[in-house]
Amino acid sequence: MSSPDLPSDLPPDEPRRTALEETRRRSGLLFAVLTDPERSQAERDQARDDLVHLHLALVEHCARRFRNRGEPYEDLVQVGTIGLIKSIDRFDLERGVEFSTYATPTIIGEIKRYFRDKGWAIRVPRRLQELRMRIGAVSAELTQTLGRSPTPRELAEAIGCSVEEIVEGLESANAYATLSLDAGDDSEDGAGTMLDAIGMEDEGLEHVEIRESLKPLLERLEPREKRILMLRFFKNMTQSQIAEEIGVSQMHVSRLLNRTLDQLRVSLQQQE
Amino acid sequence: MTQSPLTADAPRASGRADVEVRVPADGAYVSVLRTTTAGLAARLDFTLDDVEDLRIAVGEACAVVLPEATDAGDLTAAFWLSAQRIHIEVSVPTDHEVSPDEDSFAWQVLTTLADEAGLTFDGTRCVLALTHHPTPLETGR
Repeated sequence: MSSPDLPSDLPPDEPRRTALEETRRRSGLLFAVLTDPERSQAERDQARDDLVHLHLALVEHCARRFRNRGEPYEDLVQVGTIGLIKSIDRFDLERGVEFSTYATPTIIGEIKRYFRDKGWAIRVPRRLQELRMRIGAVSAELTQTLGRSPTPRELAEAIGCSVEEIVEGLESANAYATLSLDAGDDSEDGAGTMLDAIGMEDEGLEHVEIRESLKPLLERLEPREKRILMLRFFKNMTQSQIAEEIGVSQMHVSRLLNRTLDQLRVSLQQQE
Repeated sequence: MTQSPLTADAPRASGRADVEVRVPADGAYVSVLRTTTAGLAARLDFTLDDVEDLRIAVGEACAVVLPEATDAGDLTAAFWLSAQRIHIEVSVPTDHEVSPDEDSFAWQVLTTLADEAGLTFDGTRCVLALTHHPTPLETGR
């Protein structure tokens, strides 16, 4: 972030403190724009965006405190950013506290809530949780380079473990209860779910032919679940392709598919 | 749009299965068969997409045959393995003819995930047969 009006005659041992002051100054200016009723909506939107970017480092700082606890750092930054946005929307200049002081508890609260929501269905040893994460990350890389999803042997070679451990890691992934993608946001301002944020346009799905008999069944699903199901079973995309399109891991797509099919089965049984 | 035909028929395998698993015909045991399937596909070095597809396919296959089971029957899964394909037959004892409901969502799922799928009654058992050819791995990496 460049600051054109940063004084250039500063002693070299003070850049840190000065950067902080500069952030505070810019933050104050942007909040003034954001809360100014005279400004246009576009100007206020721009100020809000700039505020988010300005304070991303704060989110990263908070997220780092929760590293190595079994969730990817990038995911923590993402949920932390939701906390940041909430803070920006709620911040009151009149309070006379620094924005960072005000926002930090909200950001950390959001990250903690994510951990609470994303618990493991059964207790899985730390070693396996870490292996699951490695598999997820390496699998995504290999899918890119190979043009298809990797085999367990390729994963084992890349990670430097045995095929047995990979198989074990895959099983542990199935014990992982996630709802991050479609867990409703239960907070009062309803910021929506991650998939809503990603965008839910049915691009490429409108031409898919579905048998009439299946339509009522599919209509019963949540839009996001329906979309993943359609992409896999009516558009014949692979799990890895769907993962890339939606921006989650292939393992996550697998779990969502499994869960949705289970739900469909239960609802069909109840019907009979 | 390319899609595997809904009426695909998987021929029954002949000869002794490489792996057989027998569990009570109860939905609670389906996860055992799903896990077994994924484990076998992983040993065959199928891609993760194939492994997870097969896991789902066997779960769906069990859901199709289980309602046909006579009381106190066993649910069995038999696997014929090779590097080029995996053939799976999931079956329960039954006393009546069966035919696939090709309009059902379960059948859509099965025919998407497997290259061939067929449901037959062999006189004593209701058998769902699946054949899957794994994604070819490029050579000369």
